[in-house]
Amino acid sequence: MNHRGGWELIKNTWQSWIQHRGFFFLLAFGWMLPLLVYLFIWSDAAGEGTIAGLTQEKLAGYYLILILVNQLTYATTNWTVGDHIRLGQISRWLLQPMSPIYHAISQEIAGKVVFMLFSVPITGLLALIIRPQINLSWQQGLLFVPAITLAWGLRFFWGYWLALLAFWATRADSLLALQDTMIFLLGGHLAPISLLPRGMQILALVLPFRYMSAFPVEVLTGQLDRGETLVGFIIQLGWTITAVALYRLVWTRGVRRYEAIGG
Amino acid sequence: MHHLKIIGAFLKISSQAELAYRVNFWIRLLHSLLNLVTGVLSLVVIFNQVEVIRGWDMPGALAILGVYLLLGALRSLFIGPSLESVAGMDGEIWTGTYDFTLLRPLDQQFLISFRHWRIFAFVDFTMALGVLIYAQILLDTQLSLAMVLSFTLMLLAAVTLLYAVLLAFSALVFWNPGFLFTWVINDLFQLARYPVGLYPGWLRLMLTWIIPVGLMTTIPAQALVGTLTPWMLVLTLAFTIGTFLLATWLFRQGLKKYASASS
Repeated sequence: MNHRGGWELIKNTWQSWIQHRGFFFLLAFGWMLPLLVYLFIWSDAAGEGTIAGLTQEKLAGYYLILILVNQLTYATTNWTVGDHIRLGQISRWLLQPMSPIYHAISQEIAGKVVFMLFSVPITGLLALIIRPQINLSWQQGLLFVPAITLAWGLRFFWGYWLALLAFWATRADSLLALQDTMIFLLGGHLAPISLLPRGMQILALVLPFRYMSAFPVEVLTGQLDRGETLVGFIIQLGWTITAVALYRLVWTRGVRRYEAIGG
Repeated sequence: MHHLKIIGAFLKISSQAELAYRVNFWIRLLHSLLNLVTGVLSLVVIFNQVEVIRGWDMPGALAILGVYLLLGALRSLFIGPSLESVAGMDGEIWTGTYDFTLLRPLDQQFLISFRHWRIFAFVDFTMALGVLIYAQILLDTQLSLAMVLSFTLMLLAAVTLLYAVLLAFSALVFWNPGFLFTWVINDLFQLARYPVGLYPGWLRLMLTWIIPVGLMTTIPAQALVGTLTPWMLVLTLAFTIGTFLLATWLFRQGLKKYASASS
């Protein structure tokens, strides 16, 4: 594998994305708003008291961190992989002496940098207005690192294998919309998991979607006890391994089936 | 009459183009259903925890959701596609193909507002009507003729407002062709899912009088629930007319700035 070529590609993509930052700032703005809506809903519901053990300030902390975590784990590239396959553009990638996944990863890294350039200052500003309460400890901070790394890996590879179904079906990107909906409902966006009705809570704990977004936030804000954290990590790791395995399976099968049309 | 005939022709051309892609129909249906299910399920989750949000109970909030979906359907029926083709991503003002549109022997504002249709939005429209009827059944109030009239009137005002705001933001593209101003409105429109009273003071004022997306859903829903004061009705009408005139003026000013895009 040619890692140096991959690194050059990453640098290149990053520099080109920075040039178009206005567009990406707009995307980041759009992702932020729905989460702010539910922040206001639940703060209003909590009022001066608590709701499911969460005060207004804690809810604010949860949602502000979720805004950042959501953007860090959101894999925008998955939306374009299908187009590249349909239009035959991956032919060129297949000829290059490095794994085509570098194209996705370079865009991922470029994206995260540009999105954070916008979102970190804005969330900081919001934090000044709505005054969240976040109790940080170094243990939580330490556990947050593997939690968010796995969350990114899981969300990326899960979306990537879905996107690769474009080798067989032209409109496989609808499955990505379905994934986004599930993350909204069960990934802690609509409500922190502890506020969901019982049935949805169980689904959230079992299915992979909570582990793509809410789980790192819960770890960082100290909402979980030791047992819950451990079980969470085991399930998250399990789903991540499944996602990578599915990606490899779909990729090897799909690439064998792939043929480009025209020139 | 002449203008209605032209709209008929635009509608026919657009639907012929759209009906050529049959698989797309099922994909669009999936997306519409996802949109509906998320909307309703969100309310279920919220009202599972609280009785009212800012004076709105479940049926009232459902009425707001109905108006929100209805406006969204009308936007994607023709307002959105028409204005996006001029001011959206790779829009005519950016690419310079607006030259050809300018040459058409027809009022510019009329032409760019009614040119493209997405007839599939009728499905969304029907779903939204279903939500509104269901909300009305839950509300269990005696519908008077006056209420139906004021609801219809306020709905018309809301559509006009939405159109005017989108037109004004499209016009801004004449001054700054690289920026997707209409996307900002699409993003902010998400805040209209819930009663505008939910948001903190400064944001509420902005969403009512500056970018009036909050007004668009809350006022018609108030008419349906029966809490709309005659004074507010008149004020909304006057505000709508004012915004429409302002947007038209802004578009005319922008048109003068247009200088094609040849290099």
